[in-house]
Amino acid sequence: MASISRLPCTTRRVPAARSLATVAKPSKPVLSTAVILNRAPILTPSPTVFERAFYAYQQRIRRALHNPFPSEFYFKQGSLLEARFNSEERYRERVAWGPGYVKEEVMSEERKAAEKAAIDQMALQDRSDDKLLPRVHPSDRVRDYQSLDRKGRRNLYLLIRDTGHKTPWEFPRGLAAQDELLHQSAQREFLAKCGNYMDTWIVTRKPIGMFKPRVPEQAPEKITFFFKAHIMAGQVRPADSMKDFMWLTKQEIQTRVTKEYWEGVKDMLSDH
Amino acid sequence: MSSSLLTRWKPAATLVRQYAKPADPTQGDQRLNIIRRVLYPGNIRNKPTPTGTWRRDVRQTVQRAIPSVQAHNTIERAWLLHKRLVRKRREEQLERKYECMRRAMDELKKIDTKLYMEANQVDDPRRRSEAEMAQMKGLPVMEARAFDARIRGLFPRELKIPADTPSSTGWNYEWTPIERPI
Repeated sequence: MASISRLPCTTRRVPAARSLATVAKPSKPVLSTAVILNRAPILTPSPTVFERAFYAYQQRIRRALHNPFPSEFYFKQGSLLEARFNSEERYRERVAWGPGYVKEEVMSEERKAAEKAAIDQMALQDRSDDKLLPRVHPSDRVRDYQSLDRKGRRNLYLLIRDTGHKTPWEFPRGLAAQDELLHQSAQREFLAKCGNYMDTWIVTRKPIGMFKPRVPEQAPEKITFFFKAHIMAGQVRPADSMKDFMWLTKQEIQTRVTKEYWEGVKDMLSDH
Repeated sequence: MSSSLLTRWKPAATLVRQYAKPADPTQGDQRLNIIRRVLYPGNIRNKPTPTGTWRRDVRQTVQRAIPSVQAHNTIERAWLLHKRLVRKRREEQLERKYECMRRAMDELKKIDTKLYMEANQVDDPRRRSEAEMAQMKGLPVMEARAFDARIRGLFPRELKIPADTPSSTGWNYEWTPIERPI
């Protein structure tokens, strides 16, 4: 009866690297690959108070120095468009220099009324049903962390954990297979864990960072290589619904992951 | 017959002009005159603006816009400082990211040379892999085009730049997957 020498197994079977109990120091580290899935900002950054003040200041200087507007070139003399433009320009001058500064030509009351009626008529014709949406989405107010419309100005990253075992929050991670390249392992494991219903793109073959958790003395070294990916459409739909996921900014990630993990991961993420 | 002979004779000096008439600015297409007036305005005393004119009250308007020379210089320096701080923050962040990547690649080189060399390979966007060719064979025309649209080694077309306001449709949660080989 041939006895199969049993190798010391951890609770999870390791497909790639094995270590024998007789060897004092384990040779090969256990490689995992993780994907840092980033939803890039949808909205432009808001200008700060100083930036807005500076732009307003520069605009006034430019208005003081610019050439007189060649109205006869752009508008037909006496047309409605010209009347509208002149009325808007008078308003802008009042806003820039104050009410009493620019000497306005004296217009008769009926001429003013006629101009106003013409401008209102044009506004009615030009009005469209497309309204600009506000930059703050309802999911911001409700704090829906699974929404991909939340925090339009920021970079959002995907964090995942097992609902049942209450593992700590981390980026979607899986073990690297022996015959595969690392970025292929990352892609495969990511699809297995988070589902196929997302339009994602892994940026390069090169890992953007690594994390080495502290392991006991005799255990093999564990290294996780991170790969950067972007999501363009879709949502996480794990194959087994025993997974929680959240889309978080860098500051929100800091409060949720373990301290050791944060120290390893923080430099790979975008501040804004 | 004699009448036709009479009508054919014309005194040249009165009925046929032998020289060009000077151009009358009030006749013909006025648009050229408008353009000429815009490009070359009357008072070209105040240079160096491109067409040579400023508004009538330019001197006092500029005084109104700029509080004082010192104030203007202070604002200018504050702006340059602000830009410098933003730039430095961005450069530091990039430096940290690069350092992370460099350390990861050094570690990978120590662990496994083959994986390291493969990671350093750059995908040629002009080539399709065998797996991709095989998968494309079985697809109908439209699906094959959608499949071919994502090119390995290039940025995807769907990666949009930020806008000032969100789109009216919002994020597309109902995206249907396209099977691609890993």
